[in-house]
Amino acid sequence: MLVHFILKDLKIELRSKEIITSMFIFGLSVTLIFALAFQVAPAMIREFAPGLLWVVILFTSVLGLNRLFSLERDEHALWSWSAGPIDRGTVFIAKVISALIFVIFSEILFIIPFFVFLNLPIEFSFFQLGLILFVGTGAIVSVGCLISGITLQASQRDVLIPILLFPTASPVAIAATKCTQLLFNQKSITEWNYWLLILGSFFVIFTLFGYLVFNKIVEE
Amino acid sequence: MPFFNHRNNLIHAGIAVALSAINIFIVITLDPPNAAQGIFGNIFYIHVPVSWTAFLLYFMVMISGIMFLTKKESIWDHRGLAFAEVGTLFMFLILTTGPIWAKPAWGHFWPWEPRLTTSLILFLIFLGYFMLREFGGNTEQVSRYGAVVGILAFLDVPLIFFSVKFWLPEMQSHPQVGSYFDSGNLFPTFLVIFSLITFIIISTLMVRFRVSILKQNNIN
Repeated sequence: MLVHFILKDLKIELRSKEIITSMFIFGLSVTLIFALAFQVAPAMIREFAPGLLWVVILFTSVLGLNRLFSLERDEHALWSWSAGPIDRGTVFIAKVISALIFVIFSEILFIIPFFVFLNLPIEFSFFQLGLILFVGTGAIVSVGCLISGITLQASQRDVLIPILLFPTASPVAIAATKCTQLLFNQKSITEWNYWLLILGSFFVIFTLFGYLVFNKIVEE
Repeated sequence: MPFFNHRNNLIHAGIAVALSAINIFIVITLDPPNAAQGIFGNIFYIHVPVSWTAFLLYFMVMISGIMFLTKKESIWDHRGLAFAEVGTLFMFLILTTGPIWAKPAWGHFWPWEPRLTTSLILFLIFLGYFMLREFGGNTEQVSRYGAVVGILAFLDVPLIFFSVKFWLPEMQSHPQVGSYFDSGNLFPTFLVIFSLITFIIISTLMVRFRVSILKQNNIN
């Protein structure tokens, strides 16, 4: 069932290409604005870059999550599958995995222009950056999917997702920014592994919590 | 029948108001906990018990949420909402008294101290909680969503606290009872003020709880 739900989202995205395209273009536009706004202090850009990167990721994630859950609202898809004998927790895990795939894919696309536009030196391990992006994005989408599920029926849905997500995900913003900053400053992984642990804990706690409560959120 | 027409409610509210006056008198007349800070230090007598109260109330929101999701009794939803409303009021008091104390002590109104920052983030999450309750869908849905957000907010507390604590290790100079103040162990004083505040909270909770039930009956 888990694989079917992930494949369903991937297949819809493969046909429409709307989630990744909109996330990529939005990420690129925000990066451009940051690059222009910070031209006044090019020397400082290296210090600001980790924070800017995670602001872009957080904003694009909201866009992607909003659209990913809207798929369940279109044509009343939610009512169709919620009427069947399907474990809603599994649906939540499927949504987290789909969101993770979409957000990471769009990150791969806009991270290159991010480094180019901000003139950032690439003097770090790509594997370690990938690890931070994976765990940090996982932490954002775990709580993001939960909030998107909660606000699925809300009239002010577009406003409620960021209002609830940004403060809840603030530990992720702090931990991911610190991790990335220390990586950009060529510090060894032993100096920032506790930040990674906070991100990992956030990811695991909210994925498990979402799995447990999603059947209470989506009821017939 | 109006709330204050009930004799016991009126007596309880009267005692609460009298105790509030006594509380203010105690806070003003006690010696400052740290002579160097003068009268500004006295705000600490109210800041600490108010903080205990606010976090206790938010803890009760989580407990009410768990009870509501497991038992599905609407009484727990009304309790959760009342705890959240009064808790947010006390959170606002923390965010007011904290900076008033921080300015003379540290030179800034907002020093990014972990406990104060955690309070601000929780306060923001709960503002989102009230928006969700207002625009989240029908009454039965928002009750479930409110319960989930109440639990989610409290699960976030340790993650927020530790990420802010590691983020700014220099802020560990936050006063600790028994080590920072001239008067030594202030725990008994805080406990007396906390008991007085508890009486006011019970009174306020009773009113909010009743308003919540009346509102529900009116909608139905």
